[in-house]
Amino acid sequence: MARLFVQLKLRLLRNALISSTAARVSFVVSTIFACLLAIGTFLLLANFRGSTYSVELTSAIFTVFAFGWLFVPVFAFGLDGTLDPATLALYPVRTRRLATGLLAASATGAWPLANVLGLLGVIVGLGHGPLGLLVALVAVVLQVLFCITLARVVTTGMAGLLRSRRGKDLAAFLFLPIFAAYELFFQVVPKLASEGGITAASFSGFDSWMRWLPPGLAAHAIQDASDGHAGTAAARLAALAAVVAVLAWLWVRLLGRALVTADTSTQSSRVRGSGRARTALPLDRFGLRGTLAARFWIYQRREPTSLVFWGITAVIMVVVSIRLILGKNATPSALELNLVIGGLFGAAFAGVFHANTVGLTGPPFAFEALALTGRRQLRAYFSGQNIALGAIGIPLLVAMSFALAALAGHPAFGFPAAAEDLAGLGAGLGLASIFSVALPYPMERRAGTPMLTAAQGYGSYRFGDTLGVLLGTGVLTSPVIVAVALTNADPAAVRMPVLVVCAAVYGLALAWAGVRIAASAAVDRLPELCQVAIHSKA
Amino acid sequence: MGEMAIEVRGLQKHFGEKQAVAGINLDIAAGSLAGLVGPNGAGKTTSLSMMTGLLRPDLGKVRINGLDVWADPVAAKAVIGVVPDQARLFERLSGAEMLEYSGRLRGLPAAEARSRAAQLLDTLDLAADARRLVADYSTGMRKKTMLGCALIHNPSVLFLDEPLEGVDPVSGDVIRRLLTRFTGSGSTVLFSSHVMELVEQICDHVSVIDKGLIVANGTTDEVRGGKTLQQAFIDLVGPRASGEEGLSWLGSSSS
Repeated sequence: MARLFVQLKLRLLRNALISSTAARVSFVVSTIFACLLAIGTFLLLANFRGSTYSVELTSAIFTVFAFGWLFVPVFAFGLDGTLDPATLALYPVRTRRLATGLLAASATGAWPLANVLGLLGVIVGLGHGPLGLLVALVAVVLQVLFCITLARVVTTGMAGLLRSRRGKDLAAFLFLPIFAAYELFFQVVPKLASEGGITAASFSGFDSWMRWLPPGLAAHAIQDASDGHAGTAAARLAALAAVVAVLAWLWVRLLGRALVTADTSTQSSRVRGSGRARTALPLDRFGLRGTLAARFWIYQRREPTSLVFWGITAVIMVVVSIRLILGKNATPSALELNLVIGGLFGAAFAGVFHANTVGLTGPPFAFEALALTGRRQLRAYFSGQNIALGAIGIPLLVAMSFALAALAGHPAFGFPAAAEDLAGLGAGLGLASIFSVALPYPMERRAGTPMLTAAQGYGSYRFGDTLGVLLGTGVLTSPVIVAVALTNADPAAVRMPVLVVCAAVYGLALAWAGVRIAASAAVDRLPELCQVAIHSKA
Repeated sequence: MGEMAIEVRGLQKHFGEKQAVAGINLDIAAGSLAGLVGPNGAGKTTSLSMMTGLLRPDLGKVRINGLDVWADPVAAKAVIGVVPDQARLFERLSGAEMLEYSGRLRGLPAAEARSRAAQLLDTLDLAADARRLVADYSTGMRKKTMLGCALIHNPSVLFLDEPLEGVDPVSGDVIRRLLTRFTGSGSTVLFSSHVMELVEQICDHVSVIDKGLIVANGTTDEVRGGKTLQQAFIDLVGPRASGEEGLSWLGSSSS
């Protein structure tokens, strides 16, 4: 059975190579990244040799890998056909044999191999002497088995949920912490490390409790063996093996149950409201614009992708500003300008994320297009959207600006940043309306990612929309940035309110201009926009 | 023949090299319950999309109640309701919200939209699920919701693309009765379907489309020509190759 599943996994990988150019490119890029991970991890772990904190740092790396195995399969549930027990439920195979086969399938592929090869860096970094090297080998194998069984327990236990709408929502929400973690590791940590904010000693407190968890047990077993404490090392390895055995047992039990259990897609949610059909849409006194704003507002709250977009916007603002804030060397005027730039990026990305409203809405746009035919109605459409987006974007961006300003120790700098937020949101959303009509493209949800992406062949459209909104927002809000810089020496009591009010009016004018231009362009292009919407798989 | 609700003249559409609709002509009288039948890929959905203003034709004219769909789309779209072949619903709205939204988009006052939505939900047997998200609806419930959205503004002409596909018999009966009642009041229905028995049962007018052309058109009895509609349809479009010779093993339980 193990051989059959390994063959299945290899066949799936081979088919990815021959199915299409995009899939081939994706496979090659993925394999290259796996190789880089293997080499990078090996060198990193090997580099800990001789460090006072080598075991603490190794524990941390092992823990990061365990978290990776915990989260990534949930995120990429649809990508690996062997993760979902429902696809195998029809076959007459006993659960234990099935589990063995699935375990072998999990260990097959570039990424599992990269894990093993990368973690073998402990042989150089932490293991000393024959016993240390032997224990290091066993510890790496057990650590990888722990990761695989942990991932299998989680994905099998959650299979019903992950197959359902709620599971797909959960996977979409996971995108946010993964994005934040990526930004943290590649933007913030290197900066802090270069300035001495993070040192190897920072991990000693972390290790005091991590040593008792499976990744810590593996790392400490290697150190114990290297120091000649064979008994302690064996005890730690035995404890780790016991954890793996328990997880494997649990997995087999869960697998047996998952094969005969209905998924949770039949458990649906109800929206709040009084009475059985009295779930009135809000803003019913504001005509068509209110109707459309209500629909967009509901979608902003209920569609996980929308919430993730706002989360990413907030993360981007933090990443742009945090470097100077934590740097402690920046002058007040540089800090103020940095917060303004953070506001610009936040607003620009809010525009970028909504620069293809037709593709994002998908087939239901054709339903709306049956009712929205005139220029006035289309203005109501785009302005209704902007009202809903502004209702979330304005408080979010302004709050982020003030929070970052407070973190920088200059709460008043929140005002000029808020001015940029308001003008930037106006520009970003105005441009988003225009690009939604000028450069629309169908979107789809590809296997392996819960987020919407441009349909195949439309990558250049997405690039054009993104670049257009980013550059356009920068150019259109440059007067605000210049005004902030030029009025730096003016009294704050006059400068701050004038900046905020003027920027708000300017932003409103930009958004309104965008709505008018987009509506005028859309009125003659509705059938084409409908076709884009219908071909979307949003 | 009475006043025409739907008039189609020389409608054509190409997708690259492929001619999806090759110049169809169609006249449907007001008050008719008309069926548009054809094999897969015959051009039914493309034709309906062009008739409802969702797909720009290469050539041809479409008039609904005398209003040119492509010269005056605002007026024409105001008098039609459309149930497309695939769900075009907002998945994150509840059934009640979806219907109310549809009514308000069509210019109904909010209170009226809410009231009509509640009545339609009752009629379509969706009241108990009115507060569930559309995302959690079954195929039949989605079809009924789409029908409710298409009817809420009381259109005079209703277009339906495969309205009963994936719908259980009970829901199908609800939809059938609603359509019969709708045309009984003088409104017009044009729907596409694969189900010949259904078309034969409820339609007074049938058009057969094949390879982008109308190959038969008239009252149901005229198109049937004394046979069942199924047989008449197969005679018109021709049987498709079966290739069953290679399945000699099928039916044997030995291997």
